[in-house]
Amino acid sequence: MMCRVRGMFPLLRGRTGNQRSWSWSWSSRFFTDSGSSSAGLVLQSRSTDVHQNLALEDWIDANVDLQRRSVLLLWRNRPAVVIGRHQNPWAECDLKAMRRAGIALARRRSGGGTVFHDLGNLNLTFFASKKAYDRQRNLKVVTEALRRLRPELDVRATDRLDIILNGHYKISGTASRLSRQSSYHHCTLLHSADRSALSAVLRPSCPGIHSNATPSVPSPVANLIDHAPSLQWEELVEGVAEQYNKEFCFSSGTVLVDPSDETLFPDVGRLEAELRGWNWTFGKTPKFSVETQLQLPEARRSGRLQVDVKNGRIDGCSIDAPADWICERLSGELSAVLVGERFCPNAAAAAVAALLRCENRRMRELCAAVLQVMG
Amino acid sequence: MAMRAAVRCLSAANFSSRLPQLSSAAQLSATRLLWRSGSPRTLSSTSALSTALKFTDKHEWVQVEGGIGTVGISSYAQEALGDVVYCGLPEVGQRLEQMEEFGALESVKAASELYSPLTGEVTEINTELAENPGLVNKDCYAQGWLIKMTIEKPEELESLMDQAGYDKFIKSLEE
Repeated sequence: MMCRVRGMFPLLRGRTGNQRSWSWSWSSRFFTDSGSSSAGLVLQSRSTDVHQNLALEDWIDANVDLQRRSVLLLWRNRPAVVIGRHQNPWAECDLKAMRRAGIALARRRSGGGTVFHDLGNLNLTFFASKKAYDRQRNLKVVTEALRRLRPELDVRATDRLDIILNGHYKISGTASRLSRQSSYHHCTLLHSADRSALSAVLRPSCPGIHSNATPSVPSPVANLIDHAPSLQWEELVEGVAEQYNKEFCFSSGTVLVDPSDETLFPDVGRLEAELRGWNWTFGKTPKFSVETQLQLPEARRSGRLQVDVKNGRIDGCSIDAPADWICERLSGELSAVLVGERFCPNAAAAAVAALLRCENRRMRELCAAVLQVMG
Repeated sequence: MAMRAAVRCLSAANFSSRLPQLSSAAQLSATRLLWRSGSPRTLSSTSALSTALKFTDKHEWVQVEGGIGTVGISSYAQEALGDVVYCGLPEVGQRLEQMEEFGALESVKAASELYSPLTGEVTEINTELAENPGLVNKDCYAQGWLIKMTIEKPEELESLMDQAGYDKFIKSLEE
């Protein structure tokens, strides 16, 4: 309609020369040179690593002049669980099952609840100045794209900023982050994700967690291909990019980028390492406590464990095991050794190793039961 | 901070017809809350030790009393944010630079970064907010305070807005 088609970026169109020099000039031109011709940019990540992709989001948020330019980043990940900024991973997902299945865990910087990602889930990140932050308008890009691709799909965005299909099934969830000048809003879009994996990992690692962390709100979900079987992945990605250009009157082609390319995104590796680190993923968990039974098959009775966890570390621990089975001094020693350690089975196992060397079988069983709780 | 974005997002989202109503409500409740929170303090501390609220353009406020600054967010900001569901606050003892990020408030699936109005060290955090983050909405100038901090550079206070300046600033956002 009133869209004024602006000049295309010559560098994006004519990808001549080697990748490196192209990347460099593209980077300097489009991320730092504010005099460039178009205000919108569509990027698609080549990586399927959740930490690399989240780091790219941080990089764009921190380095691109979003006052003058908006960016849509399209990405997907190998199987991963992504928790919200203020969530508790032990409460949100089954860490043991995830390790067994090789499913990564990541904490994002935005709010909201836990989501399962795999290659059948498209992620869209809308970067804009704070002034232009408008989540409903971004979701309109998705719903309009779907309506255009498959008019028979009944999709709409809710007040909770989910997109639902046929008035009931959630196909998209939203989260966002607002910083000093910039903002980003990202959402998921279920195309053909493995729903059985989703339900297998989105359950607590242990019972009895008490926390004020932001809880997730479970919803019935659906994949787009269940309702539009002919909808191809590429078609969906192109459709969304096209609708983004249309909605915001941009004219960007989709540019493939490698989020680990430091020539294009200087220092992005540091951001990735921070997101991948234990201190961010687990250490940022809001303070919580666990009060649960300890399974002690040999004692033929159960014990009780009470742990306070602060910054992901054990801040207080009390172990109550049958006194006629193991003496109180030993369970007290175990508690004392655990205080200050990460609430993590590997770290705790290393901490109790010395105790196990000189102690008896019952101590070993008690340790195993305590470690079991940590996921 | 984030609040400004949220505020602006309202106007950007074609809610401009609602905006005058929103802002006058915000100002009204600000006045009410200021009165409520301010009066006991004035009674207890007779004098110059206590100062009036100072505001940042990111919508944090700070009030200095006995060399300690109490920090919160303005009523205008809490209204723009919507219901706060979690307050991510720093540890006691953490040192902050002026305008450094010190935590985030979460509302409606959005994490909004908080920025320190002054340079100093965190001496206390509002532990009530762990159980009841909604205090930030209900009583942002009193029970909904976020952190207390030492004031290393008192001159930084000069760079902040007083109530009249802040009211004017909010007004300018609506135009």
